[in-house]
Amino acid sequence: MLTFDQVSKSYPGGFIALDRISFELAKGEMAFLTGHSGAGKSTLLKLISLIERPTSGRVLINNVDLKRIRRSQVPFIRRDIGIIFQNHRLLMEHTVFDNVALPLVIEGFTGKEMVKRVHAALDKVGLLDKVRCLPETLSGGEQQRVGIARAVVNKPPLLLADEPTGNLDPELSKDIMRVFEAFNQVGVSVLIATHDHSLVARMRYRTLTLKQGKMINDGLLQYEEPL
Amino acid sequence: MSILFSGRAAGASSKQIHPLQRWLMFWVQHLRQCIGSLGELWRTPLASLMTIAVLGVSLTLPTTLHLLVKNVQSISGSFTQAAEISFFIKDDASDTQISTLVTMLSADPDIEQVRFISKSDAMAEFQQVSGFGQALQLLDDNPLPNVILVLPRHTQPQAAEQLRRRIEQERIVDFGKLDIAWLERLDAILLLMRQAVLAIALLLLTAVLLIIGNTIRLSIINKKEEIEVMKLVGATDAFIQRPFLYTGVWFGVFGGLLAFLVVELMVWWLEGAIGQITDLYQSHFTLMTMSFSEFLALLLLSVLLGLAGSYISVSRHIHAIEPSGP
Repeated sequence: MLTFDQVSKSYPGGFIALDRISFELAKGEMAFLTGHSGAGKSTLLKLISLIERPTSGRVLINNVDLKRIRRSQVPFIRRDIGIIFQNHRLLMEHTVFDNVALPLVIEGFTGKEMVKRVHAALDKVGLLDKVRCLPETLSGGEQQRVGIARAVVNKPPLLLADEPTGNLDPELSKDIMRVFEAFNQVGVSVLIATHDHSLVARMRYRTLTLKQGKMINDGLLQYEEPL
Repeated sequence: MSILFSGRAAGASSKQIHPLQRWLMFWVQHLRQCIGSLGELWRTPLASLMTIAVLGVSLTLPTTLHLLVKNVQSISGSFTQAAEISFFIKDDASDTQISTLVTMLSADPDIEQVRFISKSDAMAEFQQVSGFGQALQLLDDNPLPNVILVLPRHTQPQAAEQLRRRIEQERIVDFGKLDIAWLERLDAILLLMRQAVLAIALLLLTAVLLIIGNTIRLSIINKKEEIEVMKLVGATDAFIQRPFLYTGVWFGVFGGLLAFLVVELMVWWLEGAIGQITDLYQSHFTLMTMSFSEFLALLLLSVLLGLAGSYISVSRHIHAIEPSGP
């Protein structure tokens, strides 16, 4: 599904954000991406969502080399990737419905089909009763779940999440993770970037750990008791 | 259309949708964005009104000047009689010679109309008009010459002058007189006015273009966050641009309507004053207002300006906004 082949990314000024990263995420696999802030997690996600391009190496999604994708094609790539943001990036002046419907509107859905899909997505994250609310009237956890609903509403085969539990308490974090697990169980590949070590350890999924741009661990993390 | 997953039926094409229906949906989308941007204008009423007012006022001036030129032209058009050429006939010409010349001139393709005024007719008219009636009867013989009045087909000064020179060659014609100096002046003034209107219009329209461009630029900057999110969930530049372009079009529509209303109001207000003046000159002059096609042209121009102004802005700024990170 997702392949990184000797990918490096350096920024002007010589800062090396990623240093020869190689890994593969199988179809329907769920994995964590951990590391301290500044270790290169965000850069890695940016390379997948084509916000940035690698300095060297290849990034492939479903065996399509992203190097081949022209600028005008980028929007169509992003429609196949559901992205969940740390600060959820909802449109605050629009209702929950409008926010979740945005990817569908962009793809040209109208009418009943759109309403059906939006309601299905909101139902999955348990927010069907908030469909007419404005995001600012929701709690942090609910806003994050609206963000998840927006990411999955057009059923992308690949889901990326950047610190989805960043600002949430452990109870809410667990809820959010369960939502991701549910999507994973229906065959969606999920890659979650987080620095919440204890959460990662508890969940027992494959974990990719970055440190200063290098991959230092690929596999299960040993369970560590939170301090 | 999915580039990555050929098997994945992406977007609206996932359903078996008839091409006609998809074509309809495309226009429904357009309509939705069109109405949506009208709602956007409504959300910031003061800013929108200001932009519309600027547009309206800027369009009012050239439109008014255009109407002014149009009216002056219509007045000068009614003065074609002034391009009449008077040919004074030599005293020794016989009546047959004169009537031959009149017949000849009537057949001339360059001449619209020929009128012969005999010396006795001229005398009678002069007696009537001048008020010297009694005094003139004291004269032994009639000092006035026979006159042939010619109305040229082409009333432009050069053409009339050429005609005068040609007919002056006739043996019995003493000389011809064409009073064209003032006509030439009027023509020159009209040309100057028309060019001034064009120059002012061009300047104002450029200003309108820049104003709309700037307004749209500001609203793009205000929505930077929203545009980034839209780009992140896969919106094409064209999709993001459309509401802004429609906003420009709406500015154009309302600005054009405002200009039309202001001009009509001005004409209505001036009509009374102009009526008084023309009454004093004992002429029947009615102010020409905008025709329907001129109204449509004004509206079209205004809409095109709105569209062009927003396009200039949109094509530069929306491309430049890129999401900085997930």
